[in-house]
Amino acid sequence: MRFDSALGLESRKGPLAIAGKTLIYGLMVVVFTGPLVALLMSSFSKTLDPTSFSLWPDEFTLENFVQAGEKNVYLYLFNSFVVVGFGLLLQMLVSVFAAYALARKKFRGMTFVMLLMLATMMLPEEIIAIPLSLVLADMPLLNLNLIGTYAGMILPVGAWGFSILVMTEFMKEVPVELEEAARIDGAGELRIFATIIVPLCRPALGVIGVFGFTMIWDQYLLPLIVAPASDMWTLPIALRSLRSDEEVGIGVLLAASLLALLPSIIAFLAFQRQFMRGLTSGAVKG
Amino acid sequence: MSRRLLGTAIIASLAVTLTGCGSGGSSSEDNTLEIWIRQAADSDSAKTAQKLADAFTKASGTPTKVVAIFDDFETKLNQQAAQKQLPDIVINDTAQIGAMQSQGWLQEVDKASLAGGDQVSELAWKAATASDGKIYAAPFSAQAFALFIRKDWREKVGMEPPETWEDLAKLATAFTEKDPDGNGKADTSGFVIPAGTKRGYASWYASSLMYANGGDFIKANGPGKFTATMNDPKTVEAVQYLQDQFCTTKTVNPGAVSNDTTVTHEVFEKGQGGIYLTGPYVLARFVDSIGTDKIEVVPVPKGPSGGPGTLGEGENVYLMAGSQNQEAQKKFAEFAISAEGQRIGMNKDANGAIVRLPVNTQVDMAAERQDPRWKVFQDSYEHAVYAPPVPNWAPIRQDSADSINAVWADCGADVKAKMEELNTKLTQELQSQKAS
Amino acid sequence: MTSTLTPARSSAAPPHRRTRSVRWRGPVIAWLFLAPALVLFLYFKFIPMFVGLWKSLFKVQTFLGDEWVGLQNYQTIISDDEFASAIWHSIVLALGTTVGSIVLGLGLALLIEGPARYLWFVRTAAFLPVVTTMAAVAEVWRIMFHPADSGMLNIIIGWAGIDPQPWLASEDSSLWSIMIMSIWRGTPYDMMIFLAGLVGVDRTLYEAAAVDGASTWRRLRHITLPALRPVFWILFTLAAIRGLRVFVEVYVLTNGGPNGSSEVLMTLIYKLGFQKNELGVASAGGIVLFAATLALTVVVQMLRRRQTT
Repeated sequence: MRFDSALGLESRKGPLAIAGKTLIYGLMVVVFTGPLVALLMSSFSKTLDPTSFSLWPDEFTLENFVQAGEKNVYLYLFNSFVVVGFGLLLQMLVSVFAAYALARKKFRGMTFVMLLMLATMMLPEEIIAIPLSLVLADMPLLNLNLIGTYAGMILPVGAWGFSILVMTEFMKEVPVELEEAARIDGAGELRIFATIIVPLCRPALGVIGVFGFTMIWDQYLLPLIVAPASDMWTLPIALRSLRSDEEVGIGVLLAASLLALLPSIIAFLAFQRQFMRGLTSGAVKG
Repeated sequence: MSRRLLGTAIIASLAVTLTGCGSGGSSSEDNTLEIWIRQAADSDSAKTAQKLADAFTKASGTPTKVVAIFDDFETKLNQQAAQKQLPDIVINDTAQIGAMQSQGWLQEVDKASLAGGDQVSELAWKAATASDGKIYAAPFSAQAFALFIRKDWREKVGMEPPETWEDLAKLATAFTEKDPDGNGKADTSGFVIPAGTKRGYASWYASSLMYANGGDFIKANGPGKFTATMNDPKTVEAVQYLQDQFCTTKTVNPGAVSNDTTVTHEVFEKGQGGIYLTGPYVLARFVDSIGTDKIEVVPVPKGPSGGPGTLGEGENVYLMAGSQNQEAQKKFAEFAISAEGQRIGMNKDANGAIVRLPVNTQVDMAAERQDPRWKVFQDSYEHAVYAPPVPNWAPIRQDSADSINAVWADCGADVKAKMEELNTKLTQELQSQKAS
Repeated sequence: MTSTLTPARSSAAPPHRRTRSVRWRGPVIAWLFLAPALVLFLYFKFIPMFVGLWKSLFKVQTFLGDEWVGLQNYQTIISDDEFASAIWHSIVLALGTTVGSIVLGLGLALLIEGPARYLWFVRTAAFLPVVTTMAAVAEVWRIMFHPADSGMLNIIIGWAGIDPQPWLASEDSSLWSIMIMSIWRGTPYDMMIFLAGLVGVDRTLYEAAAVDGASTWRRLRHITLPALRPVFWILFTLAAIRGLRVFVEVYVLTNGGPNGSSEVLMTLIYKLGFQKNELGVASAGGIVLFAATLALTVVVQMLRRRQTT
């Protein structure tokens, strides 16, 4: 008997088993994607009921998206893309560098650094919002004002404890022998890092890429603090603003919600091969 | 090789973004007048504000920058204050005067030296006066609350416009039970109510009926001194009346206790309820979405124990502290209360009226707006009641919203006992604000 | 990514010098690699946090100048009745969401484990809620929770013969409704982590158990679950770090109502800070929350250590 899984469901081929499996898997897909499909359909729907969804657009229309344009939603979408594009690049670079030190080096203070990283994940953002705005307006020692710049939205998301810790776990798995062999060949530190360690961690890049994208895309208070006026807003702020705009209907809000949802879903689908491989290639060995 | 190039290109453009976009930041160093208005960005109201600012620039030569923000107005204002860079002008609710004044954010305004100040109605000036008796803003807009009723529904169930609370309750019952939209389903309600606690909506809604019955949250008893009056029988009667609507006759739209105004507007528009107590600023929207002959506006009926009265609100032009541009600030305030400024803000009959009812008595509203329903709001304003000028109104509104929401959500709750409890809470709050 | 590092490569020291300096070079290189992260954390997390800690000792009046009040802000927040009930709601919500997501996540992970192509499709589809924007998803759920008979969820439970529920509109069910949405979003995440853990389970053990004639249940109980122990600890740790901080879900769905029945720590603190202008008290609340989270995480780690030794 062969086992590909704990329950061994694969090997059950009877008609009852197949029906059961179809039911379970179908139900899972419906439950987890249903609300998203409902949103998709409703945002193309003309006569919207604020209290219920239709599973097929009654009277298909692009009206909601046109109106969203009048509310500058596409500008906010662009801003979101700028922030997530540069922010994610920076975040992944920083995470990979930091993880290399934490996973491959031994030095005094390492436990302390790990604790610091964990602590940053516990900070409630809403509390540091006002102090953070002071720092951004006048960076200590640097004398820079980052309010009103994209840099002000990008740099603070550049380091994220979660992706550093995930990356560290991965890098620990790379066999020491590979590194030692390269060292004997005379490879320098950066070369080992860039040609051996990072390429072997490519699946992990998928994991921190997907989570990092969602995390940056979801940022709300940071862009709010940094943007001096609405022309620098990102989509999550616009969503809340649309929600309280007494002059627009729910259709525009749903259209904007859809626009806010799609990019992270697309990013996930694009990265997902690596992402799945990353998750299943032994990050979770404790 | 090409990948290497790509990498370099990305890093280079990152560097450009990081350093290059620094221009949008502080405008306080030049002579631009920064004007903040508490309206949703890109909304029609924000556009009207921009028009007003442009007209001011044309008249005075002072450049302006308008920032419209709604949901996080307080967050952003706190942030600017922390950076000691408040905007020059803030157009915000009259009820915010205490909170901003007690933070030291406002400049005192000399009514006599403000050109055109004598043309502004006295009731509006009162709403620009803080609890210390001094004036800290120029009045800009006023509004009173009234009932939007589905006229077609009312005619279908064969009833007259309500003149007493009893009439109103009967009309609501008829709307709920007699299928006024004629679709054969019991899917309509009498009242649509934003009875959630966000921003204190529940207390905001209840206040009109409390005032219409001669009740109030708190009453002034001397300069800067207030007493809580939530346990006053007239106040309790009003809250009880609404609890009956929620619980006994069940004439309120389902889910009302967790709704805010955004959702409630939609519920009204989709014909799920027929009576909506709200301000005139949605008139243009409802006329547009429901149809002009299906809507009528009726004053809030006088309560059984007092009244008449209804909630009065408005916006003030606040002159913020720490401005480099004091002369321009004053000029803007004068422009805003002038007949011209008021007319721009009124925006005719269209959406986006940032001046709901003009505060300048020289402006003839009928000449500006064709829709006769505006007149109902203007008449209601005469006995409108503003929130009292306590140092900080927000906690009082929030606390009362929590308690009022509670007795509407929990039908077993004893209104009198709960209001007694709220009264104690408000008394404590007034003490902590040193205003009792 | 490699390209960005090429200019630095030429500056690497020639090999013969490295042996002499290797003792101090190791740590220096480590700190250099850590530097970008540490600098960013310093500026955007630690400095703001210490400013927040400092502000919690003041009555914050941004324009009039702050007034020193010592620990009074802490006293105010801790003695507030609403604070106590907000803590309780936060704990209930965090516990319910964690347990619900872990149980469901494990169950589903077991069901969809395997190399088949269609399972890969199910996994991808089921994972979508995790990568979606909370604010947008909450908007969708708010509509689905509509309490009338015509509400989407009420129609669905109607098929099972259950009476329409008030969901978010009632004090008795608001917190549970929020929990349902959180579990919906949390389950796929946990499921993925479990799947990752399941890959590492030694297949020969299953085969050996099958040869011994063990039932599926015994196989799960004695082979699979023990092998998944590290996964549980990771999930508990993440739950401890995130659990008490829920905000967006509650803010969008109910904002703490009705009657404060779903008020959690973060919504309370947010109201204090930004709607009541009590920035000092809000800072104190934030510090308390941070301390609680820290303590919780330490407890989880201690339990974990005791378990594994």
